[in-house]
Amino acid sequence: MRRFCAIAAVLLALVLPAQAERLVSQLSNDSVEITSSFDGERMTFFGSIAPDAGSPDKFVTGPFQVVITIVGPTQVRVAREKTHNFGVWLNTEQVQFKDFPSYFHVLSSARLTDISDITTLTTNAILPESHTLTANDTDWWKTAVFGRELVRLMTEQGLFGVQENGVNFLSDNFYSARLTLPSNAPPGAYLAQTYVFKNGEIIARKSEGFSVRKIGFERFLALSAVQQPLLYGLICVILALFTGWLGGVVFRR
Amino acid sequence: MQIYLPIAELSVNLFFLVGIGGAVGFLSGLFGVGGGFLLTPLLIFSGVPASVAVASVTGQVVAASTSGALSHYRRGGIDLHLAMYLVLSGILGAVGGVAVFAMLRDAGQLDLVISVGFLVLLGSVGVLMLVESTRSLLKARKGIVVRERLPNQHNWIHGLPMRVRFKKSRLYISVLPVLGIGLFIGFVGSLLGIGGGFIMVPALVYLLRVPGSMVIGTSLAQVVAMMAATTMLHAVQSQSVDIMLAFCLMVGGTVGAQFGASAGKYLRGEQLRGLLALLVLAVAIRFGLSLVLTPSDVFSMAVQGIRQ
Repeated sequence: MRRFCAIAAVLLALVLPAQAERLVSQLSNDSVEITSSFDGERMTFFGSIAPDAGSPDKFVTGPFQVVITIVGPTQVRVAREKTHNFGVWLNTEQVQFKDFPSYFHVLSSARLTDISDITTLTTNAILPESHTLTANDTDWWKTAVFGRELVRLMTEQGLFGVQENGVNFLSDNFYSARLTLPSNAPPGAYLAQTYVFKNGEIIARKSEGFSVRKIGFERFLALSAVQQPLLYGLICVILALFTGWLGGVVFRR
Repeated sequence: MQIYLPIAELSVNLFFLVGIGGAVGFLSGLFGVGGGFLLTPLLIFSGVPASVAVASVTGQVVAASTSGALSHYRRGGIDLHLAMYLVLSGILGAVGGVAVFAMLRDAGQLDLVISVGFLVLLGSVGVLMLVESTRSLLKARKGIVVRERLPNQHNWIHGLPMRVRFKKSRLYISVLPVLGIGLFIGFVGSLLGIGGGFIMVPALVYLLRVPGSMVIGTSLAQVVAMMAATTMLHAVQSQSVDIMLAFCLMVGGTVGAQFGASAGKYLRGEQLRGLLALLVLAVAIRFGLSLVLTPSDVFSMAVQGIRQ
């Protein structure tokens, strides 16, 4: 039994030579609160690469590269294309992307193509385009074209982005990264995935969640609009009638 | 100062919102129209999703028209009987309009219908108003006295059956054209996020021959009631009424409308109508160009379904 364990340990050490490092990381805040004056929030990600618990090594040897992806809640998005028909521009083609992230940002310590190869980046959903590769009703060519345009449109809105100098190493194994969530960041559950690369391979990864949510009055309004739509509508109308009446009274001579 | 809009889910500058509310309110007070046809495009242009813009502007139109309607009511300038017929059929039209609105949004053709709708409606109304006001301005310059009302001039509409007496307007006409006008304005108004005052006023004057003293008040009362119903419908069906957005616009709008109404006293009726016609035409041309000119970006995106 003892011999078997020893062999197993040796085998494991052979199979997983790269797992000698682990990632210790932390988020600056685990919830972002949307108040009436919300105009975005700055977040900090930091962590260090340390020797693994059972590892005999006292130090880790780099160079390491760190990539952090931040994924927001998913939605059903459509991308549409206008074409010129009979002298008028019309939306004629559309492709639907189910489970498309409403927010996606990548922070990395170097150029992504220098860190690893395209296959690794795509299979781990590190490239923005990898989110458009989900199955849908149309052929893959249209999916690819519309997917690329959708990523571009999301980038123009600040909802998608790649910052290839977003992660800074403060020492050989300690990094920090900054992200500014825009004011149009959709509320919901977010997932931050941190990957540590060494020689193009992922040697450690960790995921942390945080939530963006409306609090106080904003939360109350958004909830009542959905849960009590009739009452909400009635209050809107009463507010409008009252404001109109008040305006008339205040300015009457 | 940024303010977060909970339904539109984005922050907008508070002063910008109150400012455009005020500017459009000034024009609406000046010309006696709701101003929805200016406000909805402005909001869409500044990044508010089209569905939220249309639904919230209906709330703002209620507020903008209320003070005007109340002051006309005090002066006895509202034919409640006529307004009731218009409102009831208008609500029916609005139910249809809101349903079509949701359907078009999912099919991706809402922008097109809004553009074509604004182009056709504003274009035709604008041209008619411009021709009419230019003609009366020229006549006034030549010194010809124009009769305000043509009571004995009947048209085909007065030959229709199902006649009802509207005492205050001194009319004895068929209810069919009244209901038809209400239905049409209800449908178009909820679809395009406009009160429809600029269609209602000419329709009452030229089709039904409602006396001038009753036209503005009755039209405003109809706009208040119908837009209130449309706000409710949007709140229930698409849940896209943003009360914060609507309130900011209301505050600006009611204040602006008061200044607009006082400024309106310095201008003559034909001049006002001519200026309004130019404004309406400008918006129509803007929508027409967006259909015909090559768009800067042929791709667009949208989120489908009701959120949350």
